[in-house]
Amino acid sequence: MAAERTGFLTQMVEVLTSTVSFGERLNNMVHLLARHLKVDLALYFALDKARETLVLQISSAGPIPPHLRLEYPLGQGLVGETAVTRKTRLVHRHQTGVLEANAALAKLHPAFHTLAAFPVADDNFLYGVLILMDREDRAFTPTERQSVLLACLMLAGTLRQAIVQEEAKKRIAELSVLFEVGKALSSTVELEVLLERIVGTTAKVITARGAALHIIDKATGEARVSSRYGQIPPVCPALPEMLPSSGAPGEPPHYEGQAVDAEGRTHFCLAVPLTFKGPLMGTLGVYDKLSPAGEFLPFDPENRQLLYTMAGVVVNAIENALTYQQVEDLAERNERMVENLTTLQEIYRALLTTVQTGKLLDMVLQGLTQEQGLGFDRALVLLVDEATMTLKGGKGARRTPALLRSPLSEALLQPLSQEISLADWQIPLRADQGPLAQAVLMKRPYHYHQAQKRPGLPAALARKYTAQELYVVPLIVKDRATGVLVVDNQDSGRPLSTEVLGVLQMFAAQAALVLENAHLYSTIEANNRELLLMRERMLESDRLAALSSLASGMAHEIRNPLVSIGGFARRISKLVEEKSPLRGYVEVIQEEVTRLEKLLREILDFTGENLSYYGDHELAKLIDDTLVLVQRDLEASKIKVVKEYAGLPRLHCDDRQMKQVFYNLFQNALQAMPGGGTLTIRTYPLEKPDGLYEAVAIADTGGGIPLEVLHNIFNPFFSTKDYGTGLGLAIAQRIISRHYGQIEVNNEMGKGVTFIISLPVAKYCLVKETGQSAVPASALHAPRG
Amino acid sequence: MKKILVADDEMAIRLLYSEELKEEGYEVYLAANGREALEIVDKIPLDLVILDIKMPEMDGIEALRQIKERRPGLPVLLSTAYGEYRQDFATWASDEYLVKSSDLEDLKSVVKRYLKD
Repeated sequence: MAAERTGFLTQMVEVLTSTVSFGERLNNMVHLLARHLKVDLALYFALDKARETLVLQISSAGPIPPHLRLEYPLGQGLVGETAVTRKTRLVHRHQTGVLEANAALAKLHPAFHTLAAFPVADDNFLYGVLILMDREDRAFTPTERQSVLLACLMLAGTLRQAIVQEEAKKRIAELSVLFEVGKALSSTVELEVLLERIVGTTAKVITARGAALHIIDKATGEARVSSRYGQIPPVCPALPEMLPSSGAPGEPPHYEGQAVDAEGRTHFCLAVPLTFKGPLMGTLGVYDKLSPAGEFLPFDPENRQLLYTMAGVVVNAIENALTYQQVEDLAERNERMVENLTTLQEIYRALLTTVQTGKLLDMVLQGLTQEQGLGFDRALVLLVDEATMTLKGGKGARRTPALLRSPLSEALLQPLSQEISLADWQIPLRADQGPLAQAVLMKRPYHYHQAQKRPGLPAALARKYTAQELYVVPLIVKDRATGVLVVDNQDSGRPLSTEVLGVLQMFAAQAALVLENAHLYSTIEANNRELLLMRERMLESDRLAALSSLASGMAHEIRNPLVSIGGFARRISKLVEEKSPLRGYVEVIQEEVTRLEKLLREILDFTGENLSYYGDHELAKLIDDTLVLVQRDLEASKIKVVKEYAGLPRLHCDDRQMKQVFYNLFQNALQAMPGGGTLTIRTYPLEKPDGLYEAVAIADTGGGIPLEVLHNIFNPFFSTKDYGTGLGLAIAQRIISRHYGQIEVNNEMGKGVTFIISLPVAKYCLVKETGQSAVPASALHAPRG
Repeated sequence: MKKILVADDEMAIRLLYSEELKEEGYEVYLAANGREALEIVDKIPLDLVILDIKMPEMDGIEALRQIKERRPGLPVLLSTAYGEYRQDFATWASDEYLVKSSDLEDLKSVVKRYLKD
């Protein structure tokens, strides 16, 4: 008997210390005990994690079929009571209430008579309850009881060990997860790689079939980045939809769900939020936990905990990677910017080497199409023609890979090798004429893309030039659009980015400036040529004038003595008697003097005493010529000039005198507006009772002429310090009246003065219309001093 | 008797004019330049002035300006060998502009016109 017990205990210890799994060990112990005590059935009920229910876990009769998985809540049946009281109990079938209270147990052993229950517990923890059943009415001997209690202690010890080991395993697993994650996170700062590693590691440590990560912008809801790994069942909700859900009270927010696919397989998913400091938020999710046998399992709270831990750890790494990416993007952008600016500067430097518009256009096109420049496939330059209000064909060019090798500064100077002819282009500047006209009118760049709904080139133009996408950038100088640049990447199909547009606009500003400079330069050159011509003409007329002044000087010197000689001869002839021979002599003197005086008048007429400069002149031209003389003064006084010229026929007048009139009136206006203002010059036809006139109205905003001086303004030598010299107006009036015209003054106190000059249209204009021979008006009314 | 001043730097002209005008019944004063003319204008209550333009010391144009300032109502005739001074606005302040001629009938009729009452 003692030997048998020792054998039992030895076997128990062997089982206890064996290396088989805890479950196996427990199983073996329960079997050993049943065999040793020779009971029909030994059962072990384990208290569940919630410590509310006792679940049948081991039976000495072998594996438990699912329908016999018994459960007893605490306090119910012998199992439940023992767990509560932690006291050994022994009952028999015939005792009252035993069968009723343990009906479930009776299913396992319908013929039982003896039922014993032993708590499996250590000093402070109950693990479960051991049940022994036998068909005999048995009473266990004290030795047997002791064996059972010993076995229970061993069971408890094994169970505790199992729990401790499981905890340790879990810790190790968690640590290894953290290690894995840490390894993944510290291995890279590249956002994409990092995210790939995060989802990969997450799936691996949770043994999930798939994992995904998704980050969005909180404010805009726009997706920033996402990454996926493995299999993600399409029946599960998309990751962003999982985000707003929250767990039960007291639990951190998470999403847990399951869905059945078309083939009837149940899929599981679990997601937790990623909480960033900045404006971002995200989700980390896993799908379908895999059992070793390849079944899909739901996720347990431990998985959730693990996912939380992961989420907490990866957030920082992602934030770092995002920052790094931003910094890298910035650095890259800066680098590109510097590169662009360098290119622009190099082009600009080249553009400054010439003032010839044709050469500049070539350089601009080279800059736009050279690979080392801005590298567009095609580029066009069109310039605004203000006279016709159209955009006219400048030039166009294609990208030329042949020049790739030479540095940009040299390439810019090459002639265009692939020119696009725009000679016949002429686009009216109207809003319905497409992107080019629009860009000029709006003074804004125009982006055309086939995919967009914006209007493209008008049909006539589209036949000559088509592009899927193009940029039109206006050339703007001093808020005036002088032309457009058009670029596309039609041949290579590269997209046109907004960054490119920025560079293009900078380039356009430079191009506009140098083209305008060239234009101004050519204007200055033309003006210089004209000045030179005028100087030559003046020199010539000076020579003539010198000759004539010599002649006239002599003539004048002669005139005075002639007056005396002739005058006294007349006096003498009055004193001499009629019959005296002296009379005849004196008359000879008189006649000769008269002849000489007549000759003198003729000479003086010829040499310029009465020389006038009558001719047919355009009033507008005379006004403009005169304005040039006062241009600087007008600008210095900040006086704005408004011209409203009607297209009037030429007028017969002395251009020098008329210019004198305008000059005097402009001087007058200048003096009236020392602090700036507007000078409005208007020409218009005027019908008066005595015929047609051409009128010029010159209005200032100088506040008007005081009434007390108004009636004196045309008097010579009349002058006030406030308003002009007075002389100018007198001269003007004299000249106008010599031209048979009128000068009127329209004075508006507090506003300004308008001088209105009206000059009769030469009559021969009317004569001409009736087909008669033209006779200049000057011949009809030749003005003589 | 109406008082006329004749200013001319040529003695022969002064003599001719004064003889002719005296004959017409005027009291004639003479000056050889503008400055002398002004002195006489200040002293004598003249009725008319005949000024040559080209004179030494002070020319007829300056004299004209000053006479018109001092006695705006006094008629001043310019009598000159030069027709082109007509273009000069400064001469426009004169009452008449006459080019000298050996035939003094024109001059005398103009004088008569100004002094008829």
